[in-house]
This record gives sequence, C-alpha cells and structure tokens, in this order.
Amino acid sequence: MKKVSLSTTKPVGIVIALLCLTGATLLGVHVAHKNSAYPSSDSGELDAEVVHMASTVGGRLVELRVHVNQAVKKGDLLYRIDPEPYQLAVHQAEANLALAAAEVENQERLVAVKTANAEIAQNQTQRAQTNRDLAARTVDRLKPLAGKAYIPWQEYDQARVVLNNASVSLTESQKQASAAQLAIGDLKSSLAAQQAAQAALEQARYALKQTTITAPTDGYVTSLRVKEGEILAPSQVLFTLIANDSWFVSANMRETELAAVKPSACVTVYSLIDKHKALRGHVESIGWGVLSADSAGLGRTLPLVPRQMDWVHVAQRFPVRIKLDPAAPDLLRMGATATVEINHGAACP
Amino acid sequence: MLRSSARMFALYPLLFLGGCATHHAPSFSLFGAYFPGWMLCGIIGVFVAVTLRLLFVVSGIDAFLSLRLFTYVSLGVIAALLVWLVWFGP
Repeated sequence: MKKVSLSTTKPVGIVIALLCLTGATLLGVHVAHKNSAYPSSDSGELDAEVVHMASTVGGRLVELRVHVNQAVKKGDLLYRIDPEPYQLAVHQAEANLALAAAEVENQERLVAVKTANAEIAQNQTQRAQTNRDLAARTVDRLKPLAGKAYIPWQEYDQARVVLNNASVSLTESQKQASAAQLAIGDLKSSLAAQQAAQAALEQARYALKQTTITAPTDGYVTSLRVKEGEILAPSQVLFTLIANDSWFVSANMRETELAAVKPSACVTVYSLIDKHKALRGHVESIGWGVLSADSAGLGRTLPLVPRQMDWVHVAQRFPVRIKLDPAAPDLLRMGATATVEINHGAACP
Repeated sequence: MLRSSARMFALYPLLFLGGCATHHAPSFSLFGAYFPGWMLCGIIGVFVAVTLRLLFVVSGIDAFLSLRLFTYVSLGVIAALLVWLVWFGP
C-alpha cells in the first residue's frame, strides 16, 4: 500500500489546498449570513380556528343533517334538538303573559271604580260642610233669641247638638275622602308583572330557537360519533367544526432569527401533503411568551435553581403565526406538517 | 488528461445548479420521517469529496496535491454549501 504523506512540500498542492480552504471558509460565512437573514423552519404545523358545536339547551337529538368530515357552509342547518318541551314552555309563557295582561285590565277597572268612589267621598265632604255651615248659622241665629227667652232653651240645645253632629260628620267624611283618594292606587305592580311575563316569553322563545343549530362559519365537521337519539346536556359538545375561512401556520423560530421575522413579511409555505406546491402567506404575529422550565415555579415559593454546569444553552424558540392566502383545500388539514421560508422561496419572488 | 479533469472539476458546481431548478419544501421524507434539507446537503458533500478523491487518484491529479485531508474536506464543504444555496438559499 502506498504511503500518503500529508506534509509534502509541493508548492502547487499547497496553493490548491489554501484556495480550497479559503473558498470553503468564505462560502461558509456567506451561507451563515444568508441563513440568519432569511430564516426558515421545517417544524411548522398547519392550524385553523375551531368551533366546538354545542347548544345552550339540552334534549334529545332528533335530526342530524351532517356526517363526519363533511364540508358545510355558513348558515347550513347542522342538527336539531327535540323542540317540543321548548314549544310547550313557549305556550306556558304565552298563557302567563295573557294572564298578566288580563290582570292589568282588571286593575284598570278597579282603579276606575276607586276613582269614582273617591269623587263620591269628595262630594259627601262638600255636603257635610254645607250641613255644618247651616247648623252653625242656626246656632248663631238661635243664641240671642234663646238668651231673651223668645224660644225655649230646648230648641237652642237641639241646634247645638245638630251643629256638633254635623262637625263630626264633616271630619269623618274628610277622612273618608282622603282614604278613598289613597285607595285608588295605580297599575305599577300589574304592569311590572306583565313585563316579567313578556320577558319570560321571550326567554322561552330564545330557548326554542336554540334547539336548531346552524353553522356559524364555513368549515369541516370532525369528531362526530353519534346519531339521532342521543341525549345532549346543555352546552354538551356534539362535534368540532374546523373553520375554513382562515388557515394559519404555527412555526417555531429560534429567538436569534426573530429579528428578521417582521409582521406582514412574505412567507413561502409548503404543506408536506404535497411538498411541491408552494403556498403564500404572511407573518401575522410572533408569540409573546412560552413556558420555560425556569419560570414554571409557583409565584409564592422560592426560585428553583438547579445546580448544573450549563455552558451550552439551546436557543429558545417562539411560535410565529403565519396567515395563509387562500389555497387548494386538499393541502389544508389541521395539524399537517409545514415548512416555512421567511422572505424567500417560490411564493416570494 | 489533466486539463480535462480540471475542466470537469470546474464544472461540478454548475452540474448541481442545473439539476435543481424546481422548487419544493426544504425537507425530504424517508420512510415516513422528515429530514432537514441541510442533512441531505451534508451527505452530498461527503459523496462529492469521496468521488473527487477517486477521480483525482485515477486521473493523477492527486499526485500534485499536498495537505490532501484539508483539500478534500474543503471541496466537500464547498459542494455541500453550493447545493444548499441552490436548493434552499434565498
């Protein structure tokens, strides 16, 4: 076997070696610079917003219009809960409202009657006043006559008794009049009862409306595993709807690369469902915080500082949220792996 | 012989440039797992270094070289970085 000497003194060889070394070093520096100026990540994940479909009311599932993995449009009927108990509740509330309205009318009649009674009492007060005035004048007239014995004292005494009676009657009728005035009352309580019944009816109608569930957005039905007949509790989730109106990529980028990641920067995204089709997106935001082992301790306790010799620190990564432009639906599945290239790649010329 | 080999060496980066015009994700899948693009570039660099060594030994260029370890490692690194630049570079 031929011995290969590493330390020859051929000048051509040394020049070639130096050229290669210099080239490799310069290219390495150039690539490192490019890599930090145009960051990329292959640990992205396709993400979308979801709606956990549930009704605020419970009952038996009587109609299920969708099946799993079906695409639905906004406003489509998804499912219906047995509306009968809620219709009955509406009927009951309507009857209660009618009762309250009748009570208002009843109260109006009562008030009218009491108003008339108060007027009568007022008139009686006037009559009592007139009678008392007459009795007073009679006493005044008879007093001198009785003093000169033109009339018997008996007659004068009778006139004074009549005056006293008339005064008592006047006081009584005045009190009666004010009591009758007070007794008229108003419609406030019955009107309030009517409003309460109205509110109860509207509540019952709202609950009835909640038995029909429509799609709040375009999307895909997922994790649906039941059929008609299932009993649902209020707010029980029947399935999850993946919203199809906005898709995102969540890519974790190292903190050293974040300076080059500006909001609204163009991003080339490849969904690895088909890694030859470049999707276009824009940086929407960068996560403001992640939970780290050092900050995970309870706030009240002392900081947990492990004894270690950690000379090498791995860079922390933060989730960058990238909003995708509209893309072919078969490339978009929640949780799919995605690679992202910020400010370069096929979609960002 | 020497001249044709030298020309071939000079053309090597261009060979890579020509073959990789298509755009795709900077990650390749193997048996259901994704590997980063730079790993592929590294493997290509190793292959290029080994292939160049064989070619140079066969063609006799190797006799003119000294510090062969550094030379071949540098050539492999250059090849790997060029592949990275062409495939995944901005």
